[in-house]
Amino acid sequence: MFFREAIARAMREEMRKDERVFILGQDVGAFGGSYREFDGLFGEFGAERVRDTPVAEAAMVGVGVGAAAAGHRPVVSITYMDFMMLGFDPLINYGAKLRYKTGGQLRAPVVVKTTAGAKGQGVAHSQCIESWLMSVPGLKVVAPSTPADAYGLLKAALREDGPVVYVDHKRLFPVAGEVPLADSIVPIGKANILRGGSDLTITTHSYMTRIALEAAKSLEADGISAEVIDLRSLAPLDMDAIGASVGKTRALLTLEEGQVTSGVGIEVIGRVHELLGLVPAVRVGALPAPVSSNPVLEQACLPDASRVVTAARKLLSQKRD
Amino acid sequence: MIGTEAKRALRSMMLIRAFEETLAKRPDHGFQLLSSGEEAVAVGLCAALGPDDQLLTGGRSIGPALARGCDPSRVMAELLGRSTGTNRGKGGRGHLADPASGFFGSHAVVGGNINVAAGVALSMQMSRTSGIVAVLFGDGAFGAGALHEILNISTAWKLPLLFVCNNNQLSVSTPRATALAPRNLSDIGLAFGIPSKTIDGMDVDTVSEAAHEAVAWVRSGKGPAFLECISYRFASHSTTARETRSRAELAEIRSRCPIVKLTGQLKATGGLDDAAEADLKREVAEVVMAAIAFSDRSEYPNPAEALTDVW
Repeated sequence: MFFREAIARAMREEMRKDERVFILGQDVGAFGGSYREFDGLFGEFGAERVRDTPVAEAAMVGVGVGAAAAGHRPVVSITYMDFMMLGFDPLINYGAKLRYKTGGQLRAPVVVKTTAGAKGQGVAHSQCIESWLMSVPGLKVVAPSTPADAYGLLKAALREDGPVVYVDHKRLFPVAGEVPLADSIVPIGKANILRGGSDLTITTHSYMTRIALEAAKSLEADGISAEVIDLRSLAPLDMDAIGASVGKTRALLTLEEGQVTSGVGIEVIGRVHELLGLVPAVRVGALPAPVSSNPVLEQACLPDASRVVTAARKLLSQKRD
Repeated sequence: MIGTEAKRALRSMMLIRAFEETLAKRPDHGFQLLSSGEEAVAVGLCAALGPDDQLLTGGRSIGPALARGCDPSRVMAELLGRSTGTNRGKGGRGHLADPASGFFGSHAVVGGNINVAAGVALSMQMSRTSGIVAVLFGDGAFGAGALHEILNISTAWKLPLLFVCNNNQLSVSTPRATALAPRNLSDIGLAFGIPSKTIDGMDVDTVSEAAHEAVAWVRSGKGPAFLECISYRFASHSTTARETRSRAELAEIRSRCPIVKLTGQLKATGGLDDAAEADLKREVAEVVMAAIAFSDRSEYPNPAEALTDVW
């Protein structure tokens, strides 16, 4: 099953089961979503539950948290994560704080579903700002890398009682993979070990899992054994899995497509150090620059397997010192 | 508005005034956002709302919460930070919420609740309930994008949403004339083809009549309506904010008191005498004293509650 089909299936199953679930967003209706990730839903559920909106992200997220507070379970589709910035006020100031500020009277079970990452669309359509959201109390953040995780995490997000930001990567939609036949979920807060290893741990998420696996393969040819962990859930982080892995390898490389400054990786490193004491660690991410739509500049900005391999070798030399 | 209805409105306005005057003398839990002078807007609007409706407001929410029927003791406890408050003492000023009483809540981000109100209205529309949503906001929120986006989306979707702009002339210190372009703020409704009016917000009867008309329109499923209520805030932005108006200006503003006006009207028509007025005053004073006593004997939240109801 293709990644985009896994999303549509998760939505279809949850919408059949729970009439409170509905979608709102730009081009989600007859068009089926910008990546056809909602294909077929408009035909089955109609314009009321698969609802096209004007181009007004603040209103879309605001309407979503409001409908959630009133008892529905909306999915707000924000085509590009860059545009989520317009919806931060209702999401962060209202949705994430609603349960707390009302003393438990109200909750906002909304899923803000968006796409991150570069695919030739330029400086304001390519950003990965997941880490900006990881520090918001009351907000969960997930980012699948396989069709099975897209299916399972989206379904888990739809059953949460508070807001969840669900982040796809644009390059993952055409990817195919096995998806469980049975109705199931992937629990939020559980990382996935994609590859076992003993010399270093690579933590990553979303599309960068592919780069990590490619790098691990190159390292293997040099006799270096890398364990690759797909975080899947960025808030909360699965510190049990990460701690156990780094406890074994005693070296940590974090890889993300976004910025390393105040990024996902530095949070993982900080928590590992709190847990295990100082272990050699290194961050790999995009260059500190905007991501251009120019393919030469885009490629130059983003992390690739060779940069991961170089950083891993340097890390291992520190480990030996 | 006649007879018992008018008397109920008078009592409600008197309660808000007495409640805020007493609260203003209690600086122990920080500053407060008072609505004295603007009671007619809250009371007139709430007179038109039914039990299945929900009201959302901006941060200046004491008057609207009390007018909607929230328990004054629990509102006071919330504003004084006690765990018996409407929000267990966690919301405080600007975030009062009591959805069971039809007060879905206030939200202290200017314009923020306009977005949320449209979501609540959408949820009601999709649930096929007969309830509607009223969102009360100040002239400060008028310039924010939220209003403009939600006017569009709610008209396009025919949401059961009543916009009520309580234009009290000032956003903190910035005069409405400096900040907002339209001649009348209700002119904005014309662009969307929704019923829109600018009315005297210092007259509870006028507000109630316009609100009843607007609520009937919204409840009929024809989509939103817009009311601009011209009002005057008697106090400064908050109990700790500098007053920017002159004494002469304030004296003129206070001469427009909606409580004095309704009292005069009722007395002139024989609906109220001095003894009945004194009874009402005593009655609301007792409610306020009971609210203070309830709050003072209530506990502050346990520090461990900093981590409850977060996720």
